[in-house]
Amino acid sequence: MKKINKYTLISFLSVLTFVFIWWTATDLLKLTSPTTLPSPVKVFQSFIGKLYQTNPDGATLLQHLASSLKVALSGYLLGVFIGVPLGILMAWYKPVDYIVTPLFDLIRPIPGLAWTPLMILLFGIGLMSKTMVIFLSAFVACVINSYSGIKSTKPVHLWVGETFGAANWQLLTKIAIPTAVPMIFTGLRVAIGASWNALIAAELLASTRGLGFMIQQARGLYRPDIIIVGMTAVGISGAILAWLVGLLEKLAVNRRR
Amino acid sequence: MCLEPSREIMTNSVIKCENVSKQFYSDGEMVQVLEDISLEARENEILVIFGPGQCGKTTLLKAIAALEPATGGTITINGKKKTKPGPECGLVYQTIALFPWLTTMGNVEYGLKVKGMGKKERRERANKYIKLVGLEGFEKSFPIQLSGGMKQRVGIARVYCNEPDVMLLDEPFGHLDAQTRYLMQEELERIWQTEKRTIIFVTNNMEEAIYLADRIIVLTNCPAKIKQEFKVDFPRPRNITDPEFLKLRKEITGILDPLE
Amino acid sequence: MIKRLKKINKAKIFIGFASICGFLLFWYLGTAYTEVGKVMASPIDLFWRFLQSAYEPIGPHTIWGHLLSSISRVMMGFALASVCGILLGLVMGSSPLGEAIARPLFELLRPIPPIAWISIAVLWFGLGEMAKYFIIFLSGFFNITINIYTGAKAVDQELIGAAKMLGCSDRKIFTTIVLPSSVPYIFTGLHIALSSSWAAVVAAEMVRSTDGVGWLITQGMGISDTSQIMVGILSIGVVGFILSSIMRGVEAKLCAWSRVEKS
Repeated sequence: MKKINKYTLISFLSVLTFVFIWWTATDLLKLTSPTTLPSPVKVFQSFIGKLYQTNPDGATLLQHLASSLKVALSGYLLGVFIGVPLGILMAWYKPVDYIVTPLFDLIRPIPGLAWTPLMILLFGIGLMSKTMVIFLSAFVACVINSYSGIKSTKPVHLWVGETFGAANWQLLTKIAIPTAVPMIFTGLRVAIGASWNALIAAELLASTRGLGFMIQQARGLYRPDIIIVGMTAVGISGAILAWLVGLLEKLAVNRRR
Repeated sequence: MCLEPSREIMTNSVIKCENVSKQFYSDGEMVQVLEDISLEARENEILVIFGPGQCGKTTLLKAIAALEPATGGTITINGKKKTKPGPECGLVYQTIALFPWLTTMGNVEYGLKVKGMGKKERRERANKYIKLVGLEGFEKSFPIQLSGGMKQRVGIARVYCNEPDVMLLDEPFGHLDAQTRYLMQEELERIWQTEKRTIIFVTNNMEEAIYLADRIIVLTNCPAKIKQEFKVDFPRPRNITDPEFLKLRKEITGILDPLE
Repeated sequence: MIKRLKKINKAKIFIGFASICGFLLFWYLGTAYTEVGKVMASPIDLFWRFLQSAYEPIGPHTIWGHLLSSISRVMMGFALASVCGILLGLVMGSSPLGEAIARPLFELLRPIPPIAWISIAVLWFGLGEMAKYFIIFLSGFFNITINIYTGAKAVDQELIGAAKMLGCSDRKIFTTIVLPSSVPYIFTGLHIALSSSWAAVVAAEMVRSTDGVGWLITQGMGISDTSQIMVGILSIGVVGFILSSIMRGVEAKLCAWSRVEKS
């Protein structure tokens, strides 16, 4: 028991040391200018400030966050509701596999972000283009994982089903899909990460709202303190989203057992 | 009721366990796995430790090999106390535990390599033992390419090659199919006859025990204590249909603890 | 049996080919006969533009020049990320002290998408190449470290026991057991990191660059030239695919000993 505490203490000290070195470099020794690396104190102050101030970029931190979440989740859910069923169908029905897989393999190596300019030209700067980019990122992850999940169904289990006289679609719904559930959830987790990353990138490029926009604006205004606040907010939100999906996964998997 | 192990003249005992005991802590509760085990293995004999499953046989071997040291008692090998894992005790694992990134040759010569032996000498020695276990021609194969029986033969060869004072075999044929198991028992017999070693062999298979042993020590259920010792001095190789064999088998079955 | 397999493969290839042709036809018809055609280039335009880009520069280079720029950036960032990531991953995975010190900082920084660093990277390193290398490095680094960390921790304890039993000293355990055991994880990590590094270079070039495939795309957006954008996207996809295949080939060769028989 004592050993565990020793290492937790070291971890805690390690983070404190890091912040301390940071603070020493900026406030004590003044090694950097406030326009390149702000002091941790300033970052914290800006964080508190940004919670209710709308300057310098036109919205509070929470408003930006809400905007980002809205766009990310719409793209994500679209990707999930189209990607998961498609992946399942591709893995189960050979005709679907033969027709769709080549097209999918063309899209697959292209990072979601690369679609942004095309989407902007087609749909303009706004919700639609960003949603499409996020949709593509989430979609690819969901299809790949759902496909793998269905393909990993053990032939033995299917044979058992067949000897009981199950029809093909019953084999799919009663045997293959339950087997695939863990991998489908892995896909959901990967997809939320990909979606959030794609969103931030899209907002950095072309947006008028959102955390990515806030970060980009702050650079133009030489406010690295806000940049760091933004980065932290992005990181924490991304982690929370991933954790939520993980929670969903635990609930779904536990119910099965 | 526990019977005392027979006290014979221990002039050439290679390994001695005196009052060895082992406790585990699980969720704050103490579990006694081994209790007051005293035994010895003599030079070049096969000592079989026989007991029901999950009664601490593997724990005993791991304690002897000092991989999971005993919590009480002492273990001496050729007079020296055994406190750290090392080449004096070679362990052949039930799970085989070959290094998957090394070939047969790589696995067999591993012990020699870490000792710093030169390549030529190493290869010569390893080849000798690869031949002894009948795997000539498979020097460059990876474990993933070998069958269960072949893998275990590599496991035996790599321990043999290290020339340990005592070899510990932990149900080495447990994961093999029945037919391979019989063949491996014969193989081990042949290998041991060709180059004798002191072997402590753990099993829960009675035929295997009587087939291979010079002496059999029967353990109780958990916490494991020594129940009784049997001497097996029929000529080798043994026949499981021999009346003597069957008589001993019946005797041992008679004293076993019932299933809990 | 082999004849049957060959037959199936032929059908697969044929249908796949037909599917792609169908898609191209649909695309062509869409751009030729609808509103979309005003914005979007047709596949034929794209084809000629692609050929053209091989000898006619777009901006500072031809397509080869842009590809070279992007690939060299990836290689730089990826190489550095591999070295640092493998080292940190092994340290965290095999030393509880190292893990205690490094892990919290690592886990705090990891959830931040690499591209989100671009703004502060530009403030720190200016508008030149360093900022891009930094982003590419970050995306590879986090992936590699986490994979190797997992791998080093997942070393089979029995193998360590076997090594000790055969006479291996504690010091040598690391080089003879932990390291070889981790190799498959190292390669999985490198594979994922290469893909994300490629995505990162595209992102970094899109946000701030004067050349490269990412630049091609954003510049194309600026002049409303969808065929240029598509040329960019196509090159990104093809190179991404090639890099991934090379990695998979290397992985297969070096990790042949760990592949489990598939039933």
